[in-house]
Amino acid sequence: MRPIIGITSYVVPATWGVWHDLPTALIPNDYVAAVEQAGGRAVIIPPDDRDPDVLRVLDGLLLAGGPDVEPARYGAAPEPLTESRPERDAGEFLLVQRALATDLPILGVCRGMQVLAVAAGGSLHQHLPDVLGHERHRPAPGVYGEQEARFQPGSMIAKLMGDDVAIHCYHHQGVAEAGTLTVTGYTEDGLAEAIEDQDRRFVLGVQWHPEVIRDHRLFGALVEAAG
Amino acid sequence: MRRPLIGMTAYAQQVQYGSNDLMAGMLPMTYVRAVHATGGRAVLITPDDPDIDVLESLDGIVFSGGGDVDPAFWGAEPHPATDVDAVRDASEMLLMRAALELDLPLLGVCRGMQLMAVAGGGTLHQHLPELIGTERHQAAAGTDPLAADASAYGRHDVVVAPDSRAHELVGSHLVVNSFHHQAVDEPGKFTAVGWCPDDRVVEIIESSQHTFAFGVQWHPERTSDLRLFAALVEAATERSGLRRPAYAG
Repeated sequence: MRPIIGITSYVVPATWGVWHDLPTALIPNDYVAAVEQAGGRAVIIPPDDRDPDVLRVLDGLLLAGGPDVEPARYGAAPEPLTESRPERDAGEFLLVQRALATDLPILGVCRGMQVLAVAAGGSLHQHLPDVLGHERHRPAPGVYGEQEARFQPGSMIAKLMGDDVAIHCYHHQGVAEAGTLTVTGYTEDGLAEAIEDQDRRFVLGVQWHPEVIRDHRLFGALVEAAG
Repeated sequence: MRRPLIGMTAYAQQVQYGSNDLMAGMLPMTYVRAVHATGGRAVLITPDDPDIDVLESLDGIVFSGGGDVDPAFWGAEPHPATDVDAVRDASEMLLMRAALELDLPLLGVCRGMQLMAVAGGGTLHQHLPELIGTERHQAAAGTDPLAADASAYGRHDVVVAPDSRAHELVGSHLVVNSFHHQAVDEPGKFTAVGWCPDDRVVEIIESSQHTFAFGVQWHPERTSDLRLFAALVEAATERSGLRRPAYAG
């Protein structure tokens, strides 16, 4: 039996075929394909704030990209460009807190890394161009920012990535404080690009989108830790 | 105490949302809410890389609506109006057969009912308007045929066989929505126990050989009548030895 990897999902008004703007739980297929190519069995976890009981059947948790985390979760007031979905936050924070407490392997992608940081007591920059003065992390709508990352020698992410440090970014927020997690990757502007929990089996957040290249280095490591 | 985990088959579909246009694993939230409202926990089962190993984790399963089942499964040629997703068919047929074999509590909705009939050795009508001369069963997408101000189009009665298990769940008569152009012809090893009285189109199939296996041709998840979902969640609860869920509907 393959390790079961739960992927957190979006809820958006979606349009397909004859259907228009129907509230839909969905996840870009790149995530599903990346998990399955790495040897895992993907299931999609729609948000639900009642109970994290679904974790019982999961061997690993993949926190996918998505909208901004509600700033109240890290004690800040929302800034003008912050768009959050409290319903999704409520479900995901329940999952993350229980998963951290039970040492379940977790990979956080983009928003997923930000969720990890906030769950660990950290905080976010709400709009990076205001902080960094450039838009290299999200150059234009639908365009990934191609960057190179620097990783802390000896960290998990450094070992996984090896010599190829090219990353695909698409985000307007970023991790300001990582709480109890350790920042182990940066872009040249000093922004946190990878965080990890060095006291747990596998807790890794990356600010870029490894699913678009179905990066076996990262998804393979998640599935292996979950196995 | 954990809730029963209900797997729901998902679409892999090109979809538009916001400024995105991409392939996604997805399911309308109406299905998810129907399970959560009746005390279950929903997860979506994507059709990629078909395998049945995920069934071991589930307490129940919903086969959701969608496109047409490939007529090759019952040895027929495709009708011009038949539109098939071969990847989804292959994955769901595998899951359907295995779920029936495992006696996993199971509800088939629309396409899910048709898939159940075909898995049981049955056959489908490929295009109902040619059979019954009306598009009564095809509500316009995005409408709610059960809304007070809706036209009669896409809404019809269902009569239920008095001695059936479905009768215990939904009674002798109900009014349903309708979004399909195909329908069950022969239910195979299952029993047809509900029909549209205007045209005798099969609307409910059930199994006498399984703990809980029903197929319905309408979309109960798009209505306020969640009795079938509540019954599925209860069957899943009992199968897995869990406490009865509080009905939160």
